[in-house]
Amino acid sequence: MMLSTTTLADSPSILQDWIFGGNAASRAAAQSDAMFLAITWFSIISFVIVIGFAAYCVIKYRRKPGVPVQPSPHHHTLLEIIWTVVPSASLLVFFVLGFRGYADKVVAPANAMELKVDAWKWGWKVTYPNGASSPEQKFLSEQVLNDGLVQQTGLQYPIFYVPEDSDVRLRMHSQDVIHSFWIPEFRTKMDVIPNRYTGYGFRTPKLKAGDTVMHQVDVYPDGSPVLAEVSGRDMWIFCAEYCGDEHSRMAATLRVVPREVFEEKVAEWGRPKSPWLLGQTIWKQQCQICHSIDGKPGTGPTWQGIYGTEGAFADGSTHMRDENYIRESILNPNEKVVAGFAPAMPSFQGSLSEEDLEGLIMFIKSPDRDPTTAGEDGDSAGSEG
Amino acid sequence: MMTTLDTHDSHAHGGSYFDGPPGLLAKIWQWMTTVDHKKIGVMYLFAVLFMFFLGGMAALAVRYELLDPVRTVTELQGTELVESTTGQRLAFLQDIMNAKSPNEVYNRMFTLHGAVMVFMFIVPSIPASLGNFFLPIMLGAKDVAFPRLNLMSWWIYVIGCLIGVFSILLGGVDTGWTFYTPYSTTTDADHYRVVLMVLAAFVLGFSSILTGMNFVVTVHKLRAPGMGWFDMPLFIWALYATSIIQVLATPVIGITLLLLILERTMKIGIFDPSMGGDPVLYQHFFWFYSHPVVYVMILPAMGIISELLAIHARKHIFGYRAIAFSSLGIAAVSFLVWGHHIFTAMGELAAVLFSALTFLVAIPTAIKVFNWVATLYKGSIVLNTPMCYALMFLFTFTIGGLTGLPLATLSTDLHLHDTYYVVAHFHYVMMGGTVIAFMGGIHHWWPKMFGKMYSETGGLIGCALVFIGFNLTFFTQFFLGTQGMPRRYANYVDEFQTLHEISTYGSWILLAGFLVHLVTFIMSLVGGEKASANPWGGLTLEWECESPPIEHNFHHEPIVKHGPYDFESVVPPHCDPKDYPLPQSH
Amino acid sequence: MQTTLDADTTPAPPHIAKHPLHWRNRDYGHHWRNRDEEFDASKFGMWLFLTTEVLLFAGIFCGYAVFRMLYPEAWSNGSHYLDWKFGAANTVVLLISSFTCAMAVRCAQLNQQKWLKINLVITLVCAALFVFIKLKFEYMVKLGDGKAPGTFFSYEYAQNAHEQLWWSLYYVGTGIHALHVVIGASLLGYVLFRSWKYQAYGPTEYTMVENSALYWHLVDLVWIFLFPLLYLIH
Repeated sequence: MMLSTTTLADSPSILQDWIFGGNAASRAAAQSDAMFLAITWFSIISFVIVIGFAAYCVIKYRRKPGVPVQPSPHHHTLLEIIWTVVPSASLLVFFVLGFRGYADKVVAPANAMELKVDAWKWGWKVTYPNGASSPEQKFLSEQVLNDGLVQQTGLQYPIFYVPEDSDVRLRMHSQDVIHSFWIPEFRTKMDVIPNRYTGYGFRTPKLKAGDTVMHQVDVYPDGSPVLAEVSGRDMWIFCAEYCGDEHSRMAATLRVVPREVFEEKVAEWGRPKSPWLLGQTIWKQQCQICHSIDGKPGTGPTWQGIYGTEGAFADGSTHMRDENYIRESILNPNEKVVAGFAPAMPSFQGSLSEEDLEGLIMFIKSPDRDPTTAGEDGDSAGSEG
Repeated sequence: MMTTLDTHDSHAHGGSYFDGPPGLLAKIWQWMTTVDHKKIGVMYLFAVLFMFFLGGMAALAVRYELLDPVRTVTELQGTELVESTTGQRLAFLQDIMNAKSPNEVYNRMFTLHGAVMVFMFIVPSIPASLGNFFLPIMLGAKDVAFPRLNLMSWWIYVIGCLIGVFSILLGGVDTGWTFYTPYSTTTDADHYRVVLMVLAAFVLGFSSILTGMNFVVTVHKLRAPGMGWFDMPLFIWALYATSIIQVLATPVIGITLLLLILERTMKIGIFDPSMGGDPVLYQHFFWFYSHPVVYVMILPAMGIISELLAIHARKHIFGYRAIAFSSLGIAAVSFLVWGHHIFTAMGELAAVLFSALTFLVAIPTAIKVFNWVATLYKGSIVLNTPMCYALMFLFTFTIGGLTGLPLATLSTDLHLHDTYYVVAHFHYVMMGGTVIAFMGGIHHWWPKMFGKMYSETGGLIGCALVFIGFNLTFFTQFFLGTQGMPRRYANYVDEFQTLHEISTYGSWILLAGFLVHLVTFIMSLVGGEKASANPWGGLTLEWECESPPIEHNFHHEPIVKHGPYDFESVVPPHCDPKDYPLPQSH
Repeated sequence: MQTTLDADTTPAPPHIAKHPLHWRNRDYGHHWRNRDEEFDASKFGMWLFLTTEVLLFAGIFCGYAVFRMLYPEAWSNGSHYLDWKFGAANTVVLLISSFTCAMAVRCAQLNQQKWLKINLVITLVCAALFVFIKLKFEYMVKLGDGKAPGTFFSYEYAQNAHEQLWWSLYYVGTGIHALHVVIGASLLGYVLFRSWKYQAYGPTEYTMVENSALYWHLVDLVWIFLFPLLYLIH
């Protein structure tokens, strides 16, 4: 049976494409599909036998006036034993195979690269072994127009890079409620729980010739991005455990890239940044989903022009929004809740370092442009530092 | 069953249970304080159907929101580019429900749908309505063992529902019906709506326990003379197994919900990770109740199907003892499989154990299905509404059961858990199983309960619409799930739109089907043809009563002399032997 | 089954003897075949209800076990805060009350109206004593120290971060138990009232006495488990 599922995994059928979109990204995922497919065939056959027989009876033994019912046995021991034993045996096979597939999915080899996954309402952050994390964002839709300009529309999601053809292990932790880290193309998810580490492993696929993604390689003078096709493969990451208002936006992109690209990027992100740039990066990674910098209210208030002004709070008080206020609002957000907003923000105490806080304060003071590079154009959203 | 009952003197003993004192207020007071299991059953029937309507409206709202994804559209208005958002179809409710965002409206809607459907509709549905009405009659008793307790559990149910509806009227909750911590203990921290909703579920649990106790004792102590355990109709066996689960499982949810209320009001910390508490412990507690309760929902439905198939095929049920024992088997194993709801939050060893036990529970279920289908063999099958519903049950429930296999299989469950695949699976079991059987049961016993026939044409049209609508709505969701659509998403990526659209259109057809049934029922009550005592030629004791039954059910205590399914050797009571001839050779 | 022990033959005063609630005048429910079946059914129903109570407390015991495993140190500290002498005193009080409660049932069966009342009164006094000890020497003192559940916890000398959880479980467990003591005492009080006023219970009509007593024994039983778990195991 193991042999046959392996064979199935190597030759995906049309049914498999139809059910899964044919995008299994790892061998464990393909075997999981094969397992599903085997159960599906078993189910289809069982269904046809059972319902087919019922349909036959309904047609054959329709009631006709005056015709009495024909006698037949009220039970049949042999038949009943058969239809108890045969399903039991099949289920045992499914159980054993399912257990083996589970082990393949959950356990990563000892030498796998460990990524730390942080979850909060509502976002993901992946930290690489060197302590760096990705500042890159992807728009829901990016189209290159005829004149070479790029139209980026929709919401933005963080991009987490992983190298191709290598083992990855996730160690996950949540800052607030329970989330679940699901990569459909690896066919695996695991709950992300506060105060407890969970995780699983996967092996990233080898990139094939046609695997390309649109990637920003430069910036036009007017600030709009220059995109180009580069080698890579994007996958969705979804939050699968209900976590509130923006649950359906708690997605991210997992991007498989050639190893040298990966290493270059992670090394780049690991270099020290100016505080403002650091602040901007953290905003993109963690704050943007609720706090805009263009004046639009989100789940939380916008950061445009708040620094140094009086704020009005839900309890009726007002307070000058200075550095101390910003610090308090990040570490102890429900102390002063801005009027018109719900106390929905989790505390970032412990997850943001002193440098991170400094960066955020610098950024909130002047979200539009880096004051240390006076005179130049502000950094538009989407470009890398 | 052949008894000493003489129906011809019936009118000498007074009229049906419906006859009350003159005057509307006196009638209402009589119904409110009645200890008659039939009146209580009828009140339950209308109450649970109302709750079904309420939960159904929320479901339609959920489907309506998912008709299309949320899109940001940029338009040139005059000289300015204006951004607008489309696809937030429930946004108009945001102010009415005092919600933070359109997404929260959606989140409250699916919570409302789940909480109402589970706690207020489907758990009490069959046992409390049809069970209350028919359990004593089918046993040949005058009433349940504790009639006053029965009235009490009805009023506790009403109070529970009122608390729940009150919470909804205050704006509702967005916790999901499972109230998972720590989300449920932190969301809307300054509001008591969540506490109210949890309290509602807590109170409803008491109603469930009391009904269950009442039924267990009734089955043990009030069977008619001559009715041994294996002469009981299978509906009674199913209700008996259900009641045992209700009695044993519900107290655990009681303490869990109590702890949740204390957690929210006093932050006692047991489920709060920031204080060292364990949110996964909550899930274990919750599913220790809520998985067995899945069988509280489905077992009575299985009992109804056993009755419908036998009577409308005029055939002795195949494998009576196998079906009876599989009910008890399911009840027993149901307590050992709760972990399969949390495969993604538990250790490997526990997951393997629960996976194995979960497969175990599939076996008695499969045995039941085989026995039902075998019952049809050489029958005399009439395709009226109850039978069509029973056949529809076989179709949808088999799909529901088989699609559970990949969820019990560990490796595939890691992919399918918390996706639309799970949503589709449990709707095929709960709606395709319980609701379909409930509809079949209501049609089957409608003439007995109200003394009027319903329009068979109306019933069949409704049944067909429900079949089409149901399968369109939920079959598509299997594919959504396998392709990567998570549950409880207010929004989704574009590639899922077609399947979501089909699903939403299906929900409208489903609505049309239920509306046809509603009209049919109202027409029957208003001007339906008077029902005879035994319109289907049944052999269980309720068909020996009049339609509708008299106040104490039977004129004389029935004495049971044959089994409930001996269609091959007994001419049904009140039926013309010409219509129900016995077999020529036996 | 009804017992047929030698009955107390003292006749009741005429206004009580004729009262419809007097035990000799009680009829059984119309849907029962006879009195015995009704009695058996009631008792069976009560046993089922007691099962649900056991499962309710099982949830608390389960939580206790889980957190004991997770935070053994906090749990050990916790039980050191409790004085076993008060727990033991309450155990004795409850055991006495269970005995008198059982005797009350026997008195009802024997139609010993006077002793029925005396036994019930002793049981109720024990119940009050239990609640008094619990409130006065345990809850009040501990709440005064800040050893309170949840948000009200303000004990400054806690040696382990998870002692707050211990107190939460302590209050939930003993609190729900105390609630059961009050409910059980109310039931027995109702029995006492009816017995006093109407002589409502006797050899053919003592279902209510029996069931209330069963409930009271359960309350006792739960305490028999709570006492060692909370007070004795370090």
